[in-house]
Amino acid sequence: MIILDSVTKKFGAFAAVDNVSYTIQKGESFALLGPNGAGKTTIVRMLLDFINPSSGSITINGLPASDPESRKHIGYIAEQHMIPPYLSGFEYLSRHASLIGLSGKDAEKEVDRVLEIVSMKGLERKNSAAYSRGMKQRIALGAALLGQPMLLILDEPITGLDPIGIRDVRKILENLRGKGVTVILNSHLLSEVEKTCETAAIMYKGKILIKDTINAIVKGHETLEDVFVRYIEHENE
Amino acid sequence: MNNVIKITVYTMRDQMRHKSFYVLLGLSILFILSIRGCYDGGYTVNGKMVDNATVAWHVSKIVFHLIAAGMFLMVSMLSMKIFSRDHEDGSVVLFLSRSVFRWQYVLGRVTGTWALCLVFMFILHLTIFLTVWAKTGTFISGYLTASLVCSINLLFVIACVCFLSLFLPDFISAFFTMGILFVGFISDGGYQLINSDIVRSAVPSSINLEPALWRILYPKVFMVQAYADAIIGKSEFHNMGPFHPLLNLSFFILLIMTLMLVCFNRKEI
Repeated sequence: MIILDSVTKKFGAFAAVDNVSYTIQKGESFALLGPNGAGKTTIVRMLLDFINPSSGSITINGLPASDPESRKHIGYIAEQHMIPPYLSGFEYLSRHASLIGLSGKDAEKEVDRVLEIVSMKGLERKNSAAYSRGMKQRIALGAALLGQPMLLILDEPITGLDPIGIRDVRKILENLRGKGVTVILNSHLLSEVEKTCETAAIMYKGKILIKDTINAIVKGHETLEDVFVRYIEHENE
Repeated sequence: MNNVIKITVYTMRDQMRHKSFYVLLGLSILFILSIRGCYDGGYTVNGKMVDNATVAWHVSKIVFHLIAAGMFLMVSMLSMKIFSRDHEDGSVVLFLSRSVFRWQYVLGRVTGTWALCLVFMFILHLTIFLTVWAKTGTFISGYLTASLVCSINLLFVIACVCFLSLFLPDFISAFFTMGILFVGFISDGGYQLINSDIVRSAVPSSINLEPALWRILYPKVFMVQAYADAIIGKSEFHNMGPFHPLLNLSFFILLIMTLMLVCFNRKEI
């Protein structure tokens, strides 16, 4: 379970995240939506302790986010995921595997398993500098899936992916949903969010405008996109 | 395996991927081998012939310090980019998105760079040691010990450059560290000169000159070099102040590392 309690993050006088509180239950597929600069990525960075909240607290499975132990079972894809250009996809995944405590044959098996899932088998020995953006995203997704994570934090995971890649990610997320894995998804592709997530929050200028199940947010003939635009336009008025 | 050891190994491996590392090592060894002709006798000083062993001993001592000085430059260049490069290529996210403490990451990076440079310097010193041995049959017993003693200087440079690179542009942090070394070179070098046999015999009153307190407390990089020199030459070492230079430098390394860990802990990734 993830608890954000009155979390504020200020950069100087600017509040990127302003007094945000919410709870994400275990096994929940949660989408964090909002226009650029809404504070979604700032929340993700605080969850991973890349930055500290100015006030408030974040707890992941009972541990403060500042405790590296809280990241033991987290898989993460950054918005523009970078892979050191001197590493091959295999080396990159092996490093991740090693850092989560896998070694030898176990690590190799696990790397092989995720390579299969992200359809990068046969390309893993290539230097990552030669990968396209989509291929890098696939490797990043593979790294996030290593060691059966209990929490996946995906910041724009389908950016740069082709339609088949997007479908693969959707399938992976649907599959994980059945296994009790908690997913936090930041995405601008609202149609995908509608298909893969159960709950969502719409953020604007660091504040949460609404957090509910997708079914409760989207009513009648509206789509999630309609609701999103309505909320943001209302705030802009 | 502990995360610090893992990151240390990754750091060494990543640095060794660069072809320039091997080119530099090869060229350095070639340079050392090219001066082997100097070890041959045939030199006359004050009308006396100097034997091979004496020449080899003096030349190898000079090259010992030349290598150390070159290493300072190489180490600064290597360490100034550690944090900025990791930030640019995503390595820092790779480590810190896993259950790695920030102090483990910093320590792993610093230790890895130090270990690599230590090995690099040791190989060069070993090359001289073996060349002198093969060429003249002289066994300079303290040579390799002195090389290991000097490696603490490399650690100081790495810690200093890395710490400064958290606040300053990469090149400026390396340049600033070189400045620190230069001031120490003038201060400690002057002290060593005043205490040398030639100056002592020429100006006996110079022995009573007490150095200023800042000079006693200043990072003793050059004094460590002088201490290594004394190990090679089995000569007397003139220490400045009550603290041994190794103790002085260990204190500074600990202080800088602590400050670096505190600052890096507060750094936004």
